[in-house]
Amino acid sequence: MSTIIRNQEEIGSLQQQRVLRIIVLGIVGILLFRLYQLQLFYNVELGRKSTENSLRSIVKEPIRGYVFDRNGSLLVDVGPSYTLMITPAEFDRRNLPLLSSLLQMDQESIEERIERGRMYSRFSPTRVKRDIDFKTLSAIEEAIYRLPGVTYQVESKRYYPSGAYASHLLGYCKEISDVQLARMGEYYRLGDLIGFAGLESSYETMLRGQKGYEFIAVNARGKILGPFEGGQNDVVPKEGFDLILGLDAGTQVVAESLMANYRGSLVALDPSNGAILALVSKPDFDPSIFSGVTPAEEWARLNNDTTKPMFNRASMTRYPPGSTFKMVLAAAALEEGIIDEKYRIVCHGAYRFGNRTFKDLHVHGSTNVVEAIQRSCNVFFYQLIHKVGLEKWAEYAHRFGFGQSTGADIGEETMGLVPSADYFDRVYGKGKWTQGYLVSLAIGQGELGVSPLQMAVYELALANGGILHQPHAVQFIRNKFTNRVEELQHRTRSVGLSPRVIALIREGMRRSVNEPGGTGGAARIPNIVVAGKTGTAENPHGDDHSWFVGFAPFDDPKIAVAVMVENAGYGGSKAAPIAGLVMEKYLLGSIQRYQYKPKIAPKPKVDSTTVITAVQ
Amino acid sequence: MFEYFKEYFDFKTFLVTLALAGIGLISVYSATYDAGAASIFQRQLSWAAIGFVAMIVTAILPLKTIYRLVGPSYLVLLLVLLVLLVVGKTVSGSRSWFSLAKDLGGQPSEFAKVASLLALAAFLSRTTTIISDPKHLIAAIAIIVIPMGFVLAQPDLGTSIVFFAMLLPILYWAGVDNFVLAAILSPVIVAAGALFGTSFFIISVIASAALLYVSRRNRFIAAVAFALTLAVGVSVQFVYERLPSYQQKRIMTFLNPEADPLGSGYNVLQAKVAIGSGGLFGKGYLQGTQTQLNFIPEQWTDFIFCVPGEEFGFFGASIVLILFGVLLMHGIKVASASKNKFSSIAAIGIVAVLATHVLINIGMSMGLMPVVGIPLPFLSYGGSALVANMMMSGLLMNFWANRKEY
Repeated sequence: MSTIIRNQEEIGSLQQQRVLRIIVLGIVGILLFRLYQLQLFYNVELGRKSTENSLRSIVKEPIRGYVFDRNGSLLVDVGPSYTLMITPAEFDRRNLPLLSSLLQMDQESIEERIERGRMYSRFSPTRVKRDIDFKTLSAIEEAIYRLPGVTYQVESKRYYPSGAYASHLLGYCKEISDVQLARMGEYYRLGDLIGFAGLESSYETMLRGQKGYEFIAVNARGKILGPFEGGQNDVVPKEGFDLILGLDAGTQVVAESLMANYRGSLVALDPSNGAILALVSKPDFDPSIFSGVTPAEEWARLNNDTTKPMFNRASMTRYPPGSTFKMVLAAAALEEGIIDEKYRIVCHGAYRFGNRTFKDLHVHGSTNVVEAIQRSCNVFFYQLIHKVGLEKWAEYAHRFGFGQSTGADIGEETMGLVPSADYFDRVYGKGKWTQGYLVSLAIGQGELGVSPLQMAVYELALANGGILHQPHAVQFIRNKFTNRVEELQHRTRSVGLSPRVIALIREGMRRSVNEPGGTGGAARIPNIVVAGKTGTAENPHGDDHSWFVGFAPFDDPKIAVAVMVENAGYGGSKAAPIAGLVMEKYLLGSIQRYQYKPKIAPKPKVDSTTVITAVQ
Repeated sequence: MFEYFKEYFDFKTFLVTLALAGIGLISVYSATYDAGAASIFQRQLSWAAIGFVAMIVTAILPLKTIYRLVGPSYLVLLLVLLVLLVVGKTVSGSRSWFSLAKDLGGQPSEFAKVASLLALAAFLSRTTTIISDPKHLIAAIAIIVIPMGFVLAQPDLGTSIVFFAMLLPILYWAGVDNFVLAAILSPVIVAAGALFGTSFFIISVIASAALLYVSRRNRFIAAVAFALTLAVGVSVQFVYERLPSYQQKRIMTFLNPEADPLGSGYNVLQAKVAIGSGGLFGKGYLQGTQTQLNFIPEQWTDFIFCVPGEEFGFFGASIVLILFGVLLMHGIKVASASKNKFSSIAAIGIVAVLATHVLINIGMSMGLMPVVGIPLPFLSYGGSALVANMMMSGLLMNFWANRKEY
């Protein structure tokens, strides 16, 4: 050995030893310092991350609230719906073809949903297909052992057992859009349903309930190891509040069937409180098409339909009201003392103003205010508007709620248009418009825009003696936290008309329906006195719109109604009979004049109790 | 008898090795407990037993026998590496290579490391070797670079880094001129600096220029070495820009793991979370959520340090670090005390290999080092690595016992 191994003196000098020792101590020192940094300095932050890591919260969907009508019958029901979920971290892409054939959904769509879910959290199940049918569900169940990461979730789905669509009033739910998701913040997540229109949207926060969360411990592969800390942190989902409407389902069904072949709208209110008894906008849609997965072609069909079935004609339109608006002018003139009940003019069938002649339909002869309403004498109102003036007329229109939103809880609405001097100045220029512009306004034509809902509110105030109630669909809410039924408060104000004035106008409206020479005879109901007013609104784009507003019974009004049928011509012949039948149905419980058959077959009822049990 | 034992039995290496291997078994048990990998602990336990026997055998074999075995073992392992490389390449890619390597009971490169450092030590300790002779220097470097090339071609970047890292301390210990060391080191510094961006590149260029200047013997040669260094740095940048984007991404992920928390940086981030959440005393054995819930893939191999880090906290993890520190410092002591040049150089080689593993592995777990995937000695799961490491401990014990022999 001595020949090949030399004395160590030439190697390993003290300096070499020192250098290597310093390097080793340096390495250990650096690592110790880093250890100190991570474990004692960033400990809190990293500890929090560690907890988040191993915890998975499983969202427990609450049951959305039910909607009942005024008699307690179910308008909107909830049933179970199965949603296929995929946890991105666990899903094996090689299973895409299998899943695609089971779901009958193309691979790209499935992948896209998974990718979107992955962006949110790779460990949380993301919705891939909503409302899968039972057959598909059983096929998936059979193959589930081959499909890691695939689960399903029971969610609630809307059913409409009453036979009424009430689509524009109830609204519908739809999968939350990306824009909403960005705006609404914390509560919602991808794939959640959210109220999109009508009550579903207005009362979203009450209807939706509160999501529950189940906290479970998982490993990195997403394998569930059991409840986290024995489930003591779990949050039980809270059921959504139920809405109890003022709507009368039976009247709604009748109203919908009466309007079935028309484009237009019908709004019926309870004059005592402003509750919506029926609200129809035609054409409409079956809200149940939104309850599961809405096929894209169905969605496109609804949106591209030129008759705009999604558009709420009851609150979103701005029609001229025609003669139904004459009572506003009458009220202004009487209340301001410009005329009284004895004031008369002689109608020659036409009115000259400047060099223009405004025609009337008939020659009415000597006419007072009551007769003018009864017979819808245009000449009477033509000359009256000049006595009252634009300003006073507009003031009374505003008192009746025109030119402003009604505050109804059914979603968007237009304010309509009640022109003022400022308005004309703006549109035509100062001094470039004349008093002649007012003549059309006197009979509800020209630059005047109202919605059927506003007309119903106006009618409600005439019916109840001058009290304007905020129209509303929801009267009570069943609070699931306290389990109490809470009444909602609504605005009420006086129109500010003396009883004498109201009585004169009402008398005119009574005669309009019930006396010879009245225009609204078609609205009569056997044994019940109806009051009302017809209107025929000139339409520059086509046939005239047919209007009728009225209330009944005359002495103790229980229903105020406004009907507008687009392009249907004379108000007395189209809108008035519909209003009459709707009031008859509401007041008498059924239509007794002839054998009446609803045009829409009521859908089979879903037994709500079994459905609820299934969801729970 | 006891006096003899006290004088010649290397208690320090023996006990520290057993302590580290024990912590390793405890950690592997925790990392695989509930991960559906219980058999891994069983296997590691058997490997520990085999490793223990290997350590004792290596410790009591006559030094001369070891010296004689070095050459043949080195050549056999070179051949094995080459064969596996060729077979692995021709039989459809690296996947079959791994399964083949597993069938052979481990990775020969673990043993090749030990054989190479011993071979280099043997070469440098020959009386006929004159280290200042460039031919001998190149031969010495070749002893390491050849197996390193085979390992790099596997491809196993981590292990090849270890080969390179043991070269410098061994040459330094053997008395190679500082300028040569600087000339070997400076291209590596500049290449690393080039990847960190312009400012780091400039700093690394200045640092290597300073290294070369301070250690220079001849201005011209120093200038040539500096020019080569610069060329390496520039070509690294040039190559980096032409790398496929996934490889660029891998490098960038090392530089900033948080940028891609669910991609390649995932392991590092989870490892940092595991260690950091341990705090002062840890979450308790088998209570680490990161560890028990398998947030760190294959934690029992490269990220085993997270287990003591998370479950025993700063207290436990620093004990591991201190044990390594004690072993490494003692290795230097063994090298210094050895009158025998071969064992002195070999001891430094062992220290260098272990230190590199510790620095890279633990540094990687704590986000200080790139994820190059080399195991933590004695702790990480892996039969061949454990046996090879325990053989190195056995060698240190052997060198200590024979330190007075010439």
